Amino acid sequence: MKALCWNGIKDLRVETVPDPTILNPRDAIVKVTMSSVCGSDLHLYNGFVPTMREGDIIGHEFMGEIVETGKDVQKLKKGDRVVIVSVIGCGECHYCNSGTWSLCDNSNPHAIMQEKVYNYSTAGIFGYSHLFGGYAGSHAQYIRVPFADNGAFVIPEDIPDEKAVFLSDALPTGYMAAEMGNIKPGDVVAVWGAGGVGQMAMQTAYLMGADKVIAIDRFDYRLQAAAKYSGAEALDYEKTDILEALKEATGGRGPDVCIDAVGMEARSTGIEQYYDKTKQVLRMESDRPAVLRQAIMACRKGGTISVVGVYAGLIDKFPMGVLMNKGLSMRGGQMHGQRYVPILMNLVQEGRLDPSFLLTHPMPLEAGPDAYAMFNDKADSCMRAVFMPNM
Amino acid sequence: MAIIYPDMYKNTGKDHTRMPKKSTYINVKTTERILSVAGGAFLLYSGLRSVGRNPVTAISKAVGGFALIARGVSGHCPVYEQIGTDGAKSEAVNIKQYFTVNKPRAEVYQFWRKLENLPLFMRHLESVEQKDEKYSHWKAKFSKNTPALSWNAAIVKERENEFIGWSSVEGSTINNAGKVEFRDAPGGRGTEVQVVFSYNMGGGGLGSGVAKLFTPLVENIIREDVRNFKQYIEAGEVPTIAGQPSGRD
Repeated sequence: MKALCWNGIKDLRVETVPDPTILNPRDAIVKVTMSSVCGSDLHLYNGFVPTMREGDIIGHEFMGEIVETGKDVQKLKKGDRVVIVSVIGCGECHYCNSGTWSLCDNSNPHAIMQEKVYNYSTAGIFGYSHLFGGYAGSHAQYIRVPFADNGAFVIPEDIPDEKAVFLSDALPTGYMAAEMGNIKPGDVVAVWGAGGVGQMAMQTAYLMGADKVIAIDRFDYRLQAAAKYSGAEALDYEKTDILEALKEATGGRGPDVCIDAVGMEARSTGIEQYYDKTKQVLRMESDRPAVLRQAIMACRKGGTISVVGVYAGLIDKFPMGVLMNKGLSMRGGQMHGQRYVPILMNLVQEGRLDPSFLLTHPMPLEAGPDAYAMFNDKADSCMRAVFMPNM
Repeated sequence: MAIIYPDMYKNTGKDHTRMPKKSTYINVKTTERILSVAGGAFLLYSGLRSVGRNPVTAISKAVGGFALIARGVSGHCPVYEQIGTDGAKSEAVNIKQYFTVNKPRAEVYQFWRKLENLPLFMRHLESVEQKDEKYSHWKAKFSKNTPALSWNAAIVKERENEFIGWSSVEGSTINNAGKVEFRDAPGGRGTEVQVVFSYNMGGGGLGSGVAKLFTPLVENIIREDVRNFKQYIEAGEVPTIAGQPSGRD
């Protein structure tokens, strides 16, 4: 089959590789119909996630058709049209049973590797480095899906592909960002990053009762999309003093909930950007936390910081004194999609959520390297390039 | 609850802090000391004899011979000291691991106690054959390039649903012993399992020094195999990516 393989920093190649096979009794093989790029893939693309190996197949946001099932797969059958959660969960450990699927004890084959870095191991993720299990990703014609009964959801007929594919990652991650914010009616929610995940967080924040959502980004087309599709007030951090503007927008109180949908490659303006970029390049800090610092500063007293932008390791100049003295709460995590997908499917069916505007660039898999370059450069008003590997 | 370890766990052999600072302590066994003196004397003699013909070999032989004699007479080996072993003691490698299984205690205990189950998920065990209530025969292969090892083990202590203690019987290639304990986790969180495993290769001497060099490797293998127990009993399978496609194929 054809697959998009990572071969180094900004070096992706479409290669012919063997087809996947069933390796464990609870596996299924899925013929991929759509596989989306995700902002978090750019951290792999730009070389900021350790433990990538040359030849790894990337991609983790996808849907397709079941073509084969292992002997212990019970719910799924050949021909089912399914969307698959990016994070893999066994469904039997304490964490999966508590609905915290991304903390699964049993789905990461490289648990020992993660224990050395995080002291405990978390769930495996498709196509997301060996630290997260080294599973082959979805930018391929076929993919093996472990614990398929938990992670693959049959898509109702009235949800078209261009909506369904984002139930894999962008929607559940955005939903979890809003949920962790513990939004109450009347709350103002500020979201850093108006990409796919950020905008899904904006849309779900309204569903949870937010009075106003503010989007912070620097790309005009993304801010326009946030205003148009997600009902957000848009702020360009290159043109605006964000702390001042957020006070102005909230009667001086500050946002109740601040969502970081950017993560470790955050940008800022002026000297701070040079400081973090230099330290990151020199490997003195692995992640650039400009958004996190600003969110902590911007948040109202007693408010909540919700982190879904991906961080991998260490950050520097963390304003702990601000967090402590302002009495902030901070939560983060990879999403627990197995818990959210049924809720989100209903919301999509009812027309209360519509992620389809994210699909700006449908493309063949062969265009993979160009698609990533475009997505990385935020060229051609790209929200998400989505591959159709079997077209 | 405090864990009472049997005596076999007490000699960790890892406590180098108590070693005398001056490198003169005895770390070579008596037989090895006698052989050292004899071998050293032979080298010294043959070295001195050939000085005229081949001075370089001769001098190295003589120096080596002298070092061996010194090692034998003093009972101290600087090489053993460098590789961190003590040939006078047989050095054990100890591994401890703790995890919680989301299953009732009796079920977890029974699954472990049926020793034939272990090779289902402990990938480096080829087979375990239960001879009777007490004795069992084990076969393991730690890597492709090393021969399979086999040994007989006995259950030395057990209490149903609480603990199982085992030990290899005399004359095994790998002396090993261990204990696994089962306790109820609080708040219905399943069963806390604690595994203590101790082994040494060939009972001391250079064997244990070599084993020690491979300790991180073997330790990882054993830890993975123990983790596989939890994965298998909870999820019904051990996660893997072995055999999946990549651009490396």
